[in-house]
Amino acid sequence: MNAAVRLSASSLRAHKRRFAGTFLAVFLGVAFLAGTLVMGDTLRASFDSMFGRAASGTDAVVRSADAITTPGESEGVRAPVPADLVDAIERVPGVAAAAPDIQGAGQLVGADGDPIGGKGPPTLAGNWIRDPELNAYRLAEGRAPARSGEVVIDRGTAERGGLHLGDTTTLRTPDPVKVTVVGLATFGGEDGMAQVTFTGMTRADAEKYLTARPGEASTIKVRAAPGVGQQQLVDRLTPVLPKGVEAITGQESAEENTEMISSQFLTVFTLFLLVFSGVALLVATFSIHNTFAIVVAQRTRENALLRALGASRRQVTASTLVEATAVAVTASLAGLAGGIGIAAGLQALFPAIGFPFPEGDLVVSALSLLLPLAVGTVVCLGSALLPAVRAGRTAPMAALRETAVDTSAASRVRAVTGLGLGALALGLTIGGVLVTPSLWLAGVGAVLALAAFVVLGPVASTTAVRVLGGPLDRLRGVTGGLARRNALRSPRRTAATASALMIGVAVVALFTVFAASLKATMDQTVSRSFAGDVAVSTPSFGAGGSGLSPRLAGAVARLPEVDTAVGLGRGVAEVDGKGRALTVTDPLALERTFDLGDVRGSFAGLGTDGIAVTRSEADKQGLRTGDRTRLTFTDGQTKSFTVRAVYGRSELAGDYVITRAAWAPHRTQDSDTLLAVSFKDGVSTDTGKAAVEKVAEHYGSPEVQTRDEYAQSSAAGIDMMLTLVYALLALAVLIALLGIANTLTLAIHERTRELGLLRAVGQTRSQLRAMVRWEAILVAAFGTVGGLGLGAFLGWVLVKASDGASDSTFAFAMPPAQLAIVALVGIAAGALAGLRPAGRAARLDVLRAIATE
Amino acid sequence: MTVTTEVRTAARVVDAVKVYGGGDTAVRALGGVSITFPAGRFTAIMGPSGSGKSTLMHCAAGLDTLSAGAAYIGDTELGSLDDRRLTLLRRDRVGFVFQAFNLVPTLTVRENITLPLDLAGREGDQEWVEALIDVVGLRDRLHHRPSELSGGQQQRVAVARAFAGQPDVVFADEPTGNLDSRSGGEVLGLLGRTVRHTSRTVVMVTHDPVAAAHADEVVFLADGRLVDRMTAPTAERVLDRMKAFDAGTSAASEVPS
Repeated sequence: MNAAVRLSASSLRAHKRRFAGTFLAVFLGVAFLAGTLVMGDTLRASFDSMFGRAASGTDAVVRSADAITTPGESEGVRAPVPADLVDAIERVPGVAAAAPDIQGAGQLVGADGDPIGGKGPPTLAGNWIRDPELNAYRLAEGRAPARSGEVVIDRGTAERGGLHLGDTTTLRTPDPVKVTVVGLATFGGEDGMAQVTFTGMTRADAEKYLTARPGEASTIKVRAAPGVGQQQLVDRLTPVLPKGVEAITGQESAEENTEMISSQFLTVFTLFLLVFSGVALLVATFSIHNTFAIVVAQRTRENALLRALGASRRQVTASTLVEATAVAVTASLAGLAGGIGIAAGLQALFPAIGFPFPEGDLVVSALSLLLPLAVGTVVCLGSALLPAVRAGRTAPMAALRETAVDTSAASRVRAVTGLGLGALALGLTIGGVLVTPSLWLAGVGAVLALAAFVVLGPVASTTAVRVLGGPLDRLRGVTGGLARRNALRSPRRTAATASALMIGVAVVALFTVFAASLKATMDQTVSRSFAGDVAVSTPSFGAGGSGLSPRLAGAVARLPEVDTAVGLGRGVAEVDGKGRALTVTDPLALERTFDLGDVRGSFAGLGTDGIAVTRSEADKQGLRTGDRTRLTFTDGQTKSFTVRAVYGRSELAGDYVITRAAWAPHRTQDSDTLLAVSFKDGVSTDTGKAAVEKVAEHYGSPEVQTRDEYAQSSAAGIDMMLTLVYALLALAVLIALLGIANTLTLAIHERTRELGLLRAVGQTRSQLRAMVRWEAILVAAFGTVGGLGLGAFLGWVLVKASDGASDSTFAFAMPPAQLAIVALVGIAAGALAGLRPAGRAARLDVLRAIATE
Repeated sequence: MTVTTEVRTAARVVDAVKVYGGGDTAVRALGGVSITFPAGRFTAIMGPSGSGKSTLMHCAAGLDTLSAGAAYIGDTELGSLDDRRLTLLRRDRVGFVFQAFNLVPTLTVRENITLPLDLAGREGDQEWVEALIDVVGLRDRLHHRPSELSGGQQQRVAVARAFAGQPDVVFADEPTGNLDSRSGGEVLGLLGRTVRHTSRTVVMVTHDPVAAAHADEVVFLADGRLVDRMTAPTAERVLDRMKAFDAGTSAASEVPS
């Protein structure tokens, strides 16, 4: 065996404990990464096969050729096709069956009275297609709907809503429809299509409630006769289809569906997790580097002896690197196994907590094996490289020196480099935020700021620990004083240990500040532009929910307490060739209930050919009041509109406003997203709200909220995201804490004699434990404070740069309570990290400690 | 063998037995030693390597526990104390001077001197501490760190630390083992003067006849037993006595453990 390898093997055997922390850091990071990759692949494959199975009987889909896609949406809106096209299609040779597929939004109310779903995934309703081959859903129990009011729902939704065969409930389309569940269905072999809810009604019901005009269908599904291929079928169908209607193969349609789920959900989801595993690995890098740096410093005499005995620099460096490689490879392999285990566990766990992810074998691709392995090894080896080189540089004379502890203070070069980086970072961010708003510039500045913090860490640690530990002397006497000075002993080590936690806390603080700012922005939006007293909406976000009945606005407006009630509907059209969302409403009432800022022109005469535009959009398109612009609707019709008003504020009202009369000819399923109500003078909010609630009961009980409540509920999604982010960052913080614990354990090892002396002259075990714990708390406090500062600064940069770089205004908010909690958690976690090293130190035998060389 | 020459005793051991390990490999470091350290006296424990003198000191000082027999500081029996009480007893009633590594590197000279008092949260007798600082001659070094002092200075700080809390007894384990003869002489002189001027008690383990000569009395240990005592020792007499123990080994060349 090679000498270097033999040396490192014996060293690893002798110091297993020292590398436990390194092992864990690599293990956790790699497991997270591998788990994410495997889970992403598995989900993608499962969705693929599920959609494949569900659509296996459909050979062609006939639909409108043009889709209008508005910014921020991946799925375009298509006009319906005439349902009677089915007759023409069925006459085409090679067609076995064809059925209109009517799809719309319909939210079921569960047995407990609460709506089911609507928190992200779509809530769908449609006609129950009689031909089982063409229906993506299979009847599992009960029967198909035969009479009006009878429905089939997917089994997953039934379970979530506590609905059984024979139960009667309400379906919001958005007008409440009383329905009886007569059948339960499965989708592609599963209880449902993930969290999507589906209600299948009779064709007559579907036409009545889900389409704007009878005789329309979203698409027509076609099944080929035996021996006719999908492409062949499409080729035969195409000649009989009217202009603007196309046919695609069933396979293309399934792929589009899968692609939609993949791009909308899975890709974002996986990317999101990858970012956080990246943060965890970055934090791990610091912990690992620190461990190796300390171990090498502690081994100075040993390495010097080797050098004195004739070992070359390369041999000493190599032996350290071999050690690192051994740890890297074992930890990465273990992490890989752990990651696959996590993915398998999640796959089993999700259905158990009511998240019906499709079943399927675990998909472990070569990439998800090689990438985590490579990343883990590179991170570990890269972190050990510098310490290894330093080990090689050990002078043979160091064997003769008394102590072998790295007490080097921060160098001048470091201070200058750090300050330079900091100045550059500050310049770039200020430039990117205040001078020429640019997310790019600000982003580069943010990364540099992080680098500056890391470089300046050792320079700052002495002062920081002195200040942070200042009260310790007074509060904890000599124990506290000793803890503080121990933390000051090796500024570089303290800084490196704290840096890991600093990065974790910085990301936490960044998200906390950003989320608070988003909430403040929403709050500001509502309070600035919503001049009404109550808002009626359905609690939902994403594609879910069914919206509000457009008739609710009229009903509420008739209340004696109400002055104005204005419903906001949503439409889409291409304006000058670009897909845009339209707000469909009563413009005059809108002006009264919303603060639209500075209005040029008038909302009064919009009629059927007038449009109101926000100033920012108008400027972009070069429009002024009196100008004409062309709108193309989903049904392919193009109409010329005159700009009658230009208004300043778009936050709640949207960028384009047209009247209901102008939208009516092109409408699809009708619903309002928001109903704003203002009361007559002298009507208290409580009285008015109660009256509105009473009316709303007849329209599916949507939520009636005061202005403040509405602002708060708009921000509810942000809190949910923030919770998820915190959970994901917990791992990075855990790795940082392992780093603190490891550094302390190593420090205790090298201070054995000193600890023995302290015990001999009368330090009690609890005093000794407290001393080690306080040192851990000090290091954690340094990291936490640094992280909070950095995170808050980055949050400010992000918010301000977003504000400057986009049209919408972002408010900046610093949440002191949350940040204080983050600080407390960071410091408490430090105390936790110190627990084990403190226990180990306290167990030291006094005599042995004194005798240790 | 019991010797009772003083009315007041600072520390004593009775039939002290210490066995390391067990079974076939058991080593009997102390084989039933009884000895009394009178208050106000400077006693030196001498003996060849492996005679058990360090073990005796560790057990008498409450750093180690006896296998059989009893050890007392004043009237307190050490065997009945748990770890916490032993620690408090060491802190409040015993002082230590070790051969090396006596000082906490992160503390200044003054802080090292008052460390036992600080650990106890006591003010202590400030006049006494100030007087000690003058006796050991380190007033101009009070704010230095141990690493900025010479070996002799470090040991003088350790002596001051040992006496700062006015303990019943100060145990010194080869306090001059790492020093040159001049610095060693200064430290020993300091110990002797402190005992005589302030009626303190010092028990010192040493292998150096010159060091032992500074004591009021020397006790000799061999093979874990007390074999002789000598009052008013001189270096020559101690050396002669040591040479008589074992023909093969010279105590003077013993390597400190």
